[in-house]
Amino acid sequence: MNTAYREQMHKFGRIFTVMGIFVMFLAPVSIWVFTGVAPNFAQMGVGVLGLSLLYLPGGLIEMMTYSPLLGTSATYLAFITGNLINLKVPCVMNATEICGTKINTPENEVISAISVAFSSITTVLILSLGVLLLIPLKPLLENPILAPAFNWVISALFGALGYKYFKGNWKLIIAPMVVIIILSIVMPTFVNSQVMIIVLILAIVTLVVSKILYNKNKI
Amino acid sequence: MGYESELMIMLLWATNTVEAVKEAWWLYAIGAFVTLFIIGGSLFFAYKAYVQSKELGMAKEDIKKAVISSVSFSILPSIGIFIGVITMAGFLGIALPWIRLSVLGALHYELMAADWATEGVNILNMSVENFVTIAFTMTIAIIWGSLFTLFLFKKYQSKVVDKATEKKGRSFGPFLFQSVFIGLVSAYFGDAFSRIFQYNTREIVDGAYTGTIIENSSFVPLIVFVISFLSMMGFDYLVKQKNVKWLENFQLSLSMVIGMASAVFLGMGGLF
Repeated sequence: MNTAYREQMHKFGRIFTVMGIFVMFLAPVSIWVFTGVAPNFAQMGVGVLGLSLLYLPGGLIEMMTYSPLLGTSATYLAFITGNLINLKVPCVMNATEICGTKINTPENEVISAISVAFSSITTVLILSLGVLLLIPLKPLLENPILAPAFNWVISALFGALGYKYFKGNWKLIIAPMVVIIILSIVMPTFVNSQVMIIVLILAIVTLVVSKILYNKNKI
Repeated sequence: MGYESELMIMLLWATNTVEAVKEAWWLYAIGAFVTLFIIGGSLFFAYKAYVQSKELGMAKEDIKKAVISSVSFSILPSIGIFIGVITMAGFLGIALPWIRLSVLGALHYELMAADWATEGVNILNMSVENFVTIAFTMTIAIIWGSLFTLFLFKKYQSKVVDKATEKKGRSFGPFLFQSVFIGLVSAYFGDAFSRIFQYNTREIVDGAYTGTIIENSSFVPLIVFVISFLSMMGFDYLVKQKNVKWLENFQLSLSMVIGMASAVFLGMGGLF
């Protein structure tokens, strides 16, 4: 697929990304300018270097893994608005499943762009509303009775989404589930603290099983 | 030194204390601008996609479904993200966490950045220099994904993604991406399941890590996962078999609400 629309979205997406990076730097640069106090470059270097060891390969893997699922404009939008794994990717998975569109098709480009756009708008509106209504909302959201609900929002999200993906792919699910159950028993803290690496391992396991079943005409 | 000069110095000092900077009006103005930028950009791409949908002859109903399902789906995780703003507020004020979590941010990342950029600093001894250092570190180290998208995505799409999906008829390409979906869902099953055995949390006091690691274990995330899974199964049955069409756009959000409500009930029963 190589349409004029996609080319146009690459152009606009790149412009949006550059603008987004400038917008991201507005806050730190303004703090520096308005206060006249520069950052401590030595401490900043240590922080950036340490975090980049994790987030530089993570950024590349995320771009390679999620961009095919998101499509052109949704990728540019999602890589500025953030919350990919816990919001944008499952949101697109849900919308494209409901609309029945297939990856890397013109229809999928449309649905995923609309999905990420409205998801991003919802998030920033809720954050802004939350800031405006902080005083009445704070005690409610910090209420210990409600705390478990938001502690485990990701489990609720992937449990619900999981059904849709497990339902049609029973043959492909078995191997990654066996692997993850064993890993969870042997090294539980690694499993729940290194999700990106676990996603990669399980995707590769599923891919190998898919290839074997595909070659045997079983899927 | 005259009275006016002394007053000016006192005013400058008062507006340059870290508490004043954290809650400065201009930081809130930047937050509002960031929000408008995201809304503007999102509406632009949504409009372009809508125009394209007309050219492709797509049903208006599909666009409506994508909008409704995405908005309803995003509400609960977004409230979760806002709780992140509250969590960080004690240490960094409201405005900076609001900005950071609106563009390319995540609670655990921001806390880690604050921790790495200013080790040993807490709410009582934080200076303006610490605050500006934290703000820069948070912004720079998360930018890699955007840079890779900016410089590599177009080439990656045409050289890899198109090749994997262009073959007509029976093809292995779709399984490549299906595997990522299944990997993602299984990994989050593992995230819930492994917590039965052990998970560590870093203690947060006044919106910053204290350095203390607390060992925990819990059945609750697995129960939440399973209840959401079963709720979705029930809603899917109603949509597909009983033709309750209106439920289609809300089934994911409702399943999440049921799963999250189960965590609240378990908590009320003393199971966290």
